[in-house]
Amino acid sequence: MANFILRKAEPKDVSDILRLIKELAKFEEMEEQVVLTEKELLEDGFGDHPFYHCVVAEVPKDKQSVEGYTVVGFAMYYFTYDPWIGKLLYLEDFYVMKEFRGYGMGSEILKMLSETAVKTRCSGMHFIVAEWNTSSIEFYKRRGASDLSHEEGWRLYEIDKCNLLKMSSK
Amino acid sequence: MDFTIRAATLEDCKDISRMILELAEYEKVPDQVKITQRDLEQDGFSKNPFFHGIIAEVPEHHKSREGHTKVGYSLYFYTYSSWKGRAVYMEDLYVMPEFRGKGIGKALMSKVSQLGLAAGCTQLNFTVLDWNKSSLDFYLKQGCWDVTSDLGYHCMRCEGDALEHLAQGDL
Repeated sequence: MANFILRKAEPKDVSDILRLIKELAKFEEMEEQVVLTEKELLEDGFGDHPFYHCVVAEVPKDKQSVEGYTVVGFAMYYFTYDPWIGKLLYLEDFYVMKEFRGYGMGSEILKMLSETAVKTRCSGMHFIVAEWNTSSIEFYKRRGASDLSHEEGWRLYEIDKCNLLKMSSK
Repeated sequence: MDFTIRAATLEDCKDISRMILELAEYEKVPDQVKITQRDLEQDGFSKNPFFHGIIAEVPEHHKSREGHTKVGYSLYFYTYSSWKGRAVYMEDLYVMPEFRGKGIGKALMSKVSQLGLAAGCTQLNFTVLDWNKSSLDFYLKQGCWDVTSDLGYHCMRCEGDALEHLAQGDL
């Protein structure tokens, strides 16, 4: 089964996007952390100033998943900036449903994203991976990705809303 | 010491470019800076900017040894968490050494948080080098936590030839 298409996500896809976000979060054992709603996805991705872009992988109706889904993979990305090298494409989420793996969908999605990165003159593509996720790390390393945390000592930090409020009022 | 925090303008790109280089020197990698003042002007101040900047400025009588009044900056942009939605990413935060210890760094970061919250963001993210102890201490005091350490997330990059090959579909 190599029958699938990749296309830009449309407003009607937000329900499938949220479903796939939750499936990926479940795999990362972080399902309860997903508080994003379909309404926010719609406003934030399809308004005047989108905060993210999305591509989806779709199979024909006769190849739908066991629960009846035809949107079976996605990637969410946005553009960031490195003041040393300029524009970058940041890959936020990248996921293909388990029953549709091994058919080259993941590779095609990554290929499409890197074409986008090259076309928009990005210097690179960045993303994060959990260190226990060895199969994904190998997938990325096979494609030339380097681990900046390991090689250069970068650590990702976060300030949550509660502390943001404290900081902004000081 | 008297200082003001304000949004960066096109005219600030010369000083931002200067301070980007100073920060890169501090991080021991000045030869990695390929972006020019012109790139900053195009990428930050056109119709669809790729980043936003804020500047810390001191009055003339407090200018630096070399005569600069723009003594600190932060570059940030909006990102998206597939779990929580809108987020703000602080790419650079820098205060010239002779102006440290006066609350300028904290004020710059506070401004980024205010702007982020106003835009509907629920988190502020950034990266720090693991050897940068004074910065790590500063951030931990502001209530940050180390995502790499606590969740095991590593920052990955695909660039140059690897990016080109990926785009061609080579393996």
